[in-house]
Amino acid sequence: MNRLPLSRVTRVALVSLMSLLAIPACSDDENDGPFADPNPSTGQGSPDAGAPDSGTPDSGPGTPDSGTPDSGTTVWPQEFTCEGKEAHALTFNPGQEQQLQNAVNDLKPCTTITLGAGTFHFDNAVTIRADGITFQGAGRGAQGEGTGGAASTVLDFSAAAANTNGLDVVGKLFTLRDVALWNAQKDALRVENSSNVFIQRIRTEWERENQSSNGKYGIYPVKSRYVVVEDCEAYNAADAGIYVGQTRYAIIRRNIAKKNVAGIEIENTKFAYVEGNTAIDNTTGLVVFDLPGNPIQGTDVLVTKNTITGNNRHNFASDSGSSSTVSQVPAGTGTFILASRRVEFVGNTWGNNNTVDIAVLSGLAIEPNPVLWSAGFFNFSTSDVYVHHNTFLGGSGESVDSGTPSLAERPLGFLIANLYAYGKAAAGVDRVEHVLWDGIDPAPRNESVANGMNLCFTNNTLPATTKAAVVDLDLEAVQKKLMAATPDIVGAWGETRRYNQGATPFNCTGFRPALKLP
Amino acid sequence: MRSPYMTRLGLAAVLLAAAVAACSGGEEDDSRIGEIPDAGDAGNPSTPDSGPDAGNPDAGEDGGADAGNDGGTDAGPEDGGSDAGSDAGSDAGSDAGPPPGTVTIPDVLSGYNLFTGTPAGGDFKPVEGNIPYELTTPLFSDYSLKSRTLYIPAGKAALYSADAVLDLPVGTIITKTFAFPADFREPDKNVRPLETRVLVRQPQPVGWVAYPYVWNDALTEATLASGGKVFKDFTFIDTEGVTRKFDYLVPQRNQCQKCHHMVDEQDNQHLLPIGVKARYLNREHTYGLQPVNQLQHLASLGKLEGLPPTQQIPRAPDAFNAGEADLTQRARTYLDINCAHCHNPKAQPGITSRLFLDIKTTDEFSLGYCKRPGSAGGGVGGEFDIVPGSHDTSILWFRMHTEISGKMMPEIGRALRHEAGAQLIADWIDAMPARSCK
Repeated sequence: MNRLPLSRVTRVALVSLMSLLAIPACSDDENDGPFADPNPSTGQGSPDAGAPDSGTPDSGPGTPDSGTPDSGTTVWPQEFTCEGKEAHALTFNPGQEQQLQNAVNDLKPCTTITLGAGTFHFDNAVTIRADGITFQGAGRGAQGEGTGGAASTVLDFSAAAANTNGLDVVGKLFTLRDVALWNAQKDALRVENSSNVFIQRIRTEWERENQSSNGKYGIYPVKSRYVVVEDCEAYNAADAGIYVGQTRYAIIRRNIAKKNVAGIEIENTKFAYVEGNTAIDNTTGLVVFDLPGNPIQGTDVLVTKNTITGNNRHNFASDSGSSSTVSQVPAGTGTFILASRRVEFVGNTWGNNNTVDIAVLSGLAIEPNPVLWSAGFFNFSTSDVYVHHNTFLGGSGESVDSGTPSLAERPLGFLIANLYAYGKAAAGVDRVEHVLWDGIDPAPRNESVANGMNLCFTNNTLPATTKAAVVDLDLEAVQKKLMAATPDIVGAWGETRRYNQGATPFNCTGFRPALKLP
Repeated sequence: MRSPYMTRLGLAAVLLAAAVAACSGGEEDDSRIGEIPDAGDAGNPSTPDSGPDAGNPDAGEDGGADAGNDGGTDAGPEDGGSDAGSDAGSDAGSDAGPPPGTVTIPDVLSGYNLFTGTPAGGDFKPVEGNIPYELTTPLFSDYSLKSRTLYIPAGKAALYSADAVLDLPVGTIITKTFAFPADFREPDKNVRPLETRVLVRQPQPVGWVAYPYVWNDALTEATLASGGKVFKDFTFIDTEGVTRKFDYLVPQRNQCQKCHHMVDEQDNQHLLPIGVKARYLNREHTYGLQPVNQLQHLASLGKLEGLPPTQQIPRAPDAFNAGEADLTQRARTYLDINCAHCHNPKAQPGITSRLFLDIKTTDEFSLGYCKRPGSAGGGVGGEFDIVPGSHDTSILWFRMHTEISGKMMPEIGRALRHEAGAQLIADWIDAMPARSCK
């Protein structure tokens, strides 16, 4: 990734860090509002993240959603309500773009904006800064449609002013549904600092595949609370198709993300259900991570019933010469978990991801200076990752970075590619195992504790050809040997350890991550 | 591994403090934001500014009866003018009517009665009491010429602040007219105004609101355009004689908040003026025939209270006059007026990026020295906001210099590069003792 791991972290710094953090021996658990009490039934085995609902249109046009997600048993709090307030309704059709722009800049709370079918051409972002707004079209249309039809509404931002997003929202109790956002200059849908957000049946898309200039994110709720993204589609984003970041309480379900650099990203987010999504043909499919410098520590993420296959698209994110995280991900990474804790994967399907199905990484792998993780209370470490009762189809790990490793652009992929080239030639290991753990956390590494970060891999369905299931890469040691003046590939390979499913230490007998999910 | 945090406090102290703080039981992000010192830009919209000033006569209501300092030329907004009846934004569906002092927002700029004449007639000028002013260093906006006016209602005055935005009373109206000459080599000829932005301070809980008015082609009137407007392929001839073509963006009302905002303790955003600070107003302007210090002028009109003796008033230099201040002061001033309305500890982009470019910030890390951005995206010229001694590997300079959508800063408000501004920041970074940020 950005820099090879631990290259600039002295052991002294890490030792002092860990000892200091140990002194107060405090819990990083937080009582987060109304869900302070974990529901013990949600943590283990049978996630009740909400049976997929029927997909029938909810409360119908004109009425803001009730704010009740059909997931779990607890009703989310609502920070704003339209009950008892005057409702307003506005309707616009193609050709009335300027009227629409004027109206959304003078919005009264609790207004429903309905767009007729067809194509709306905008020369600027559509911005909403009001509470209780519903914004709805006639339908999101199908992949590839840049022109709205009789039953679809396309918001075309192809000719919008530079540096603008497509739909740009700050508001409480916001609902968006049944539109397509086409060729945004930056983010197609950006929702920021908002609460009770419902994003339903929308499509975000850029016309051309594999363009680093394809805006940024498709669906991008950030710094928000109580967010639902469901039944949406995201295509061709040069960053993430669907991104939920710096958010508390999110449900991401039944979405389709294809042809993006990252399909679905859950970043610095607390309490997320990620259920029933399809992430296919991205550079990386569905990822969970924290970034350095962000004050929200991501925890409690349940990833269930998702399909994460064939994510082998070459990385077309904008130039990797900087600090972008996704630009450094090798093609063919089904899922990576980085700087994350209390993450459970159950009932998902992985397969045909060229590099690896799941990579479990320390935040120190992308930012080795622990001080830069101070904003999130040193949240660089990954721990309590529970991968169980999933299906692995096979075909993964056979062509790292889809055969185009680059030391300059994607160094971690380059290192793994070289290591496994040796493994194939000399050790009969012909593919990267289903789960690759970088072996960094807890840092500093203690060889006498084989799985101190609590990574569990049990009861998954594996292809018959599977040999080992999990590899502990010991990246620091491997890197040291590979990057020495005289590279020692034999020694580097010797540092890695492979484990079959069910073998200690990754069978985690009795382990429960006990996600605190409402 | 060297970073300003460590040189200042030592790694152990930082870690220990963080670890202890982690046990405080508070919401981690909120508690940290709360520790950040005030940027000085707040203007305190959340503190009572006498609220709906019940009891005091308001400019909006006393109409022409005012015989005060304005010399009878009351420029006050008329309340209940017939042209305002169709305004959709002001009635808010309330039965109670607007609170006292509320300025009714007209559909056309002339409805404010703040100007006489028209640009078409060449006699467009502020009425008496609508006071023109300039800034020592203005914010850059695609090379547009700007003329600014400040109207403070009769019987009211602003309260001086040494570093924050002047505390302007309810009913205050600030206007800024953006214009381009056809040819910048003759900047006084063929000047075409595009828009006039109006900031109005309404009674609480509304506070400051922003309205863009777009001039018609005949230049006889400017009409409220809440949704903004894009002047596609707008052209002018620059000082070098080169024809420049770009899309000029009149911001939507909602986009005004991108720059004009601060976040209060409750995480609510408030709109706020940017330039109306003592240090930027501390210069001369010609009123009548006499150049007078603008702050003194306001005070002599009774429109500014609490003005300290001249030598105690801070002054931001002209960032492009090397005779006024050293390179660092001028560069910091440029960043302060152009960037710090977002990049300060009380604005969302500052909170997100931890990059604070306001004039009060002194610690090098917050200023960007060897600081990695949280999520800069790709291709922004480097890994660090500022690499001392190396402007062309500094993201800060890259973002100011580039014209690439999605990478340039500020996010809105410019499509063209400010050559002189980018050069100033390049010179400043290059003059820093070189340092490796690795």
